[in-house]
Amino acid sequence: MWEGSMAVTGQPDSQLDRLESTAERRLARSAAMILGVGIASIVLALGGTLVSTLANGIVPYQRLVEGLRSTPTEVILDVGLGLGAVAIALGFAMYRRMPTKRSREQSIAGAVLGIQAVVVGLIILVFRTFGDPDLFIKLFFNAGILEGHLGAFVRGALNTIILAVTGELGGIIVGLLLAMLAMSKRAVVRAPARVYINFFRGTPLIWQLSVFYFGFAIGLGIRPAIDVGPIQLSSAYTIAVIVFILNTGAYAAEVFRAGIQSIERGQLEAARSLGMSYPQAMRYAVIPQAVRRVIPPLMNEFVILIKDTSLVLILGLATGELELYTTAREGYSDTFNASFYTAAAIGYLAITLPSIWAVNRLERRLRSGLVGVGA
Amino acid sequence: MTGPLIRLEGVHKWFGDLHVLKGIDLRVEPREVVVVIGPSGSGKSTLLRCINLLEEPTSGRVWFEDVELTDVRTNLNEVRTHMGIVFQAYNLFPHKTAAQNITVALEKVLGLDHGQALEAARQELEHVGLAHKADAHPGQLSGGQQQRVAIARALAMRPKVMLFDEVTSALDPELIQEVLDVMKALASEGTTMVVVTHEMGFAREVGTRLLFMDEGAILEEGDPRETFEHPQHPRLQQFLKRVL
Repeated sequence: MWEGSMAVTGQPDSQLDRLESTAERRLARSAAMILGVGIASIVLALGGTLVSTLANGIVPYQRLVEGLRSTPTEVILDVGLGLGAVAIALGFAMYRRMPTKRSREQSIAGAVLGIQAVVVGLIILVFRTFGDPDLFIKLFFNAGILEGHLGAFVRGALNTIILAVTGELGGIIVGLLLAMLAMSKRAVVRAPARVYINFFRGTPLIWQLSVFYFGFAIGLGIRPAIDVGPIQLSSAYTIAVIVFILNTGAYAAEVFRAGIQSIERGQLEAARSLGMSYPQAMRYAVIPQAVRRVIPPLMNEFVILIKDTSLVLILGLATGELELYTTAREGYSDTFNASFYTAAAIGYLAITLPSIWAVNRLERRLRSGLVGVGA
Repeated sequence: MTGPLIRLEGVHKWFGDLHVLKGIDLRVEPREVVVVIGPSGSGKSTLLRCINLLEEPTSGRVWFEDVELTDVRTNLNEVRTHMGIVFQAYNLFPHKTAAQNITVALEKVLGLDHGQALEAARQELEHVGLAHKADAHPGQLSGGQQQRVAIARALAMRPKVMLFDEVTSALDPELIQEVLDVMKALASEGTTMVVVTHEMGFAREVGTRLLFMDEGAILEEGDPRETFEHPQHPRLQQFLKRVL
């Protein structure tokens, strides 16, 4: 929504000069005011309420409840609601009469922001008035109960990252090899790669974890525990890493295959016509170009894997090996307080949001041609 | 050795149900400039691509000097270093500079060291008038310049024959001449060339032999000037009436 209004307010209104009557000019300028009211309403209803609540302190949780119920919070919320209503009324009443494209967009944006402020404000108001803020905050935003668990969550986040990064990197290597096999002109070479890829893409990750752990490790007694100096990993942890690598490999193989096949055939032919062997043509001509195209989809796979590492919950991980989700679950089963899950969500978002942001940025750059295929 | 550089015998090519080449026999002697003309879809490009086996003939045999390319035991990679090919779509490597486009095969295929390869690249770029663009990426070059770099890349391998596959067809009209000039210069240096083209002026002026193809067969063959003035086959007469 901000991007939209920025686009509207970013540059001077070129159409304003063309307006002849002062009444029209005044109308056009009032649109900026409507937008201002809309912005103020959402800032107050959402941001103001939040800041005013948090300003009272978060530990113990009762302070949050008091903050939410305090007079300043109430006033801010009511003003936000009022401004929202004003923005809606003025914006929708006047946008049709606005004489320039920019003033029209400003009125509409003001009204839309007003709607958002009213919806958010009403939810908070109803919750405050008719709900049970005390119980809700105690169960979901009880920072006090998390005291002493910070170390566990940091270790959890670290394990989430270790599992996802090793899974992704290992998966990329497995995937590249599989993609090469899957693109062979010989059916006998393609077939096993296809079977592997389809199997790992076609069965649930949780099933793969179960079979490798309960079936192979526990059942058959294949226990790949690692104990080398400072590195001590239980069989469960090692199996989780292996399964993530094998699973990601299947998805990465499809990404690589699509990326390599998206390179024009002429590139391979040009390289072969210069006397390069097929592997040389791949290595010097095709793959360097394909890599640029597969980075965004591979990073998307990585974001998905970050979240999927939570499936290790079905394995018996040692205490120091718990990742974010299992850390939260441990805390919850001790206290029956869902604030542990809230903390885990914050942990996941702290890892995934920068990754998502990086993918989007990269995709925009690749699309806009700044990097291009040639850079 | 005094035999032909290239020899095709009874070459047929099928794409699925489509019979693209219908029994081609062809010999190209050293220092010849063979120009191949004909309507779109007549099989000209496929014929050219069968010469270095980018397309594998469905049947028939292809020789380069005394090596049979259609023999599965032949090391095609080695033979291809003696045959340069330039494509309609340039097919430069977009992630490499003009110079790197040339050096990569010199180093990785011919085993030159980096200094030698760079020197050869510089020479060939000068040959096509683009020494000053050595560090430019293909995206920074015009179509005509890209095509000249592609020619330089093929020449740098010191091939015994150069194959040109409609190399000016993708170019803006004002860029065609610079590429044709480079090819004319090559012909006058005595380079053996097989040129598939729609440029009739070039064919008449530079070719030492003209082939007219239609529907997968060579219908007429002869001295370019003679053939352009007195075409024998009705299909060629019809074709020339439309393009000239």
